[in-house]
Amino acid sequence: MFSVILKDVALLSAIGVTLAVIMVIAGRLLSNYGQCKININGKRDVIVTGGSSLLSSLNDKQIYLPSACGGRGSCGACKCKVDSGGGPLLPTEKPFLSKAELAQGNIRLACQVKVKSDITIDIPASIFNIRRFSATVSEIIDYTYDTKGITFKLAEGEMIDFKAGQYVQLETEPYNKVKQRVARAYSISSSPQINDSLQLIIRYVPEGVCTTWVHQHLKIGDKVFLTGPYGDFFLRDTEADIIYVAGGSGKAPIKSILEDLAVKGTSRKMTYFFGARTLKDLYLTEHMKSFEQVFENFSYVPVLSAAEPTDNWTGKTGFVMPYFKETIRDPKNTEAYLCGSPGMINAVTKALMDNGIPQEKIYYDSFG
Amino acid sequence: MKETPRDARTRVRMMPGAITLNGFIGKDKRSLPEIIAADEVKLQSLNRTATEIAERMKYFVDASFSTFDGKITIEGIYVVETEVTRGYLQCPYSHGGKIRKSTTCLTNTKTGVTVTWTAMNIHLIEDHGFFEGKGSTYRLEPEQLVKALF
Repeated sequence: MFSVILKDVALLSAIGVTLAVIMVIAGRLLSNYGQCKININGKRDVIVTGGSSLLSSLNDKQIYLPSACGGRGSCGACKCKVDSGGGPLLPTEKPFLSKAELAQGNIRLACQVKVKSDITIDIPASIFNIRRFSATVSEIIDYTYDTKGITFKLAEGEMIDFKAGQYVQLETEPYNKVKQRVARAYSISSSPQINDSLQLIIRYVPEGVCTTWVHQHLKIGDKVFLTGPYGDFFLRDTEADIIYVAGGSGKAPIKSILEDLAVKGTSRKMTYFFGARTLKDLYLTEHMKSFEQVFENFSYVPVLSAAEPTDNWTGKTGFVMPYFKETIRDPKNTEAYLCGSPGMINAVTKALMDNGIPQEKIYYDSFG
Repeated sequence: MKETPRDARTRVRMMPGAITLNGFIGKDKRSLPEIIAADEVKLQSLNRTATEIAERMKYFVDASFSTFDGKITIEGIYVVETEVTRGYLQCPYSHGGKIRKSTTCLTNTKTGVTVTWTAMNIHLIEDHGFFEGKGSTYRLEPEQLVKALF
């Protein structure tokens, strides 16, 4: 009786092993898609080995679509147009697509599209400028109790070409309980004229995987990877007056824009409102004030909403919005550039529009 | 109550370092269905539903976005402040979509109860009935929430 049971178990095991081997062989044969051609914008072909996601296939060819989740289908940043060869839309993609994008029918998440045959895609030309950079931490400055400025020196021979106001994604290394790399977006705070290094301003976020790494683990000499540049928050080339409004680490892109203008020169009237709660939340004040000597018509206006008596603050108080009126001379010929939280963007946009600035001239980089 | 394979995969994504630094489980040894079921029982005893609670939390967050910065008093008794940081998080249930990174602190001056929640808390409560495990950084006790929100 016992030997019969053993024989049956052995037979079942043998069948199981045989089926597994057949499945592995079949998988290798059937999933061998060979060489596939990705046609980009009808202008450029890249040849890839089929079987991988469109996102990673493009990455292998140094074409970097934005992605904050590393291709796990959870950030929705890698949208692109797939005109043919992408297969059907997957349920994992639908939550990330708007009604208009779903109706369009060809908007896909590159991380969810598997390259199995020739494929035709359409991506913004600016994507070709996005690269993955190896860099070394060269400077760490404590701007406030919770905000650091980190300078990254790009690897020998590497140069980044970006517009002031754009951002990069910083990749963390595994540390403590964090077992995998994550990528997080931060605006570049340095001038585009310095193209062999870049600075990011990073505020500590409790529970934040990346900011905890930056604030508690990153040190001078550490090697990191950055991908970019991304984003369409940059100064429009007009003669209109400018109002900048920022809070917290929202100072980063405005700093980059001002440093860029300091090199290029401008006669535009510019006012920069920086909203903070207390004196200890202000930083780079002297640097920002120094632009008043650089530009013929610039003023930096820090405004504290909850100044402590010990701050001995003699500057403007409350929120920034009531001070717009006195600085706007021609609302129809004024642009505004905002960087901060959704609450700040909402309140400031409303106040600017109440003062007559057209909505289409209000540009913002919202945290949320 | 046993975890399904899907629950087990979700639990892995809820562990420290996967999505957030300290995760969503805390020191809670119960299975996900057990945690959810226990909170559901508590909610029933309080005559509230997870949907009602999530809707109320969203109401306060939206209202707090009407101010530039700092605290706002709503309905005369709720002092609310929301802080938003850059970027989004994915839900540990991995169904797609992205959740803003924000923290809201609400004090009910009538009951004296203060609660702090994230945008992720609202999503987890509304869509999954999950108030996080005991001891996790953003665990919300249903009883405290009800005392603060209503």
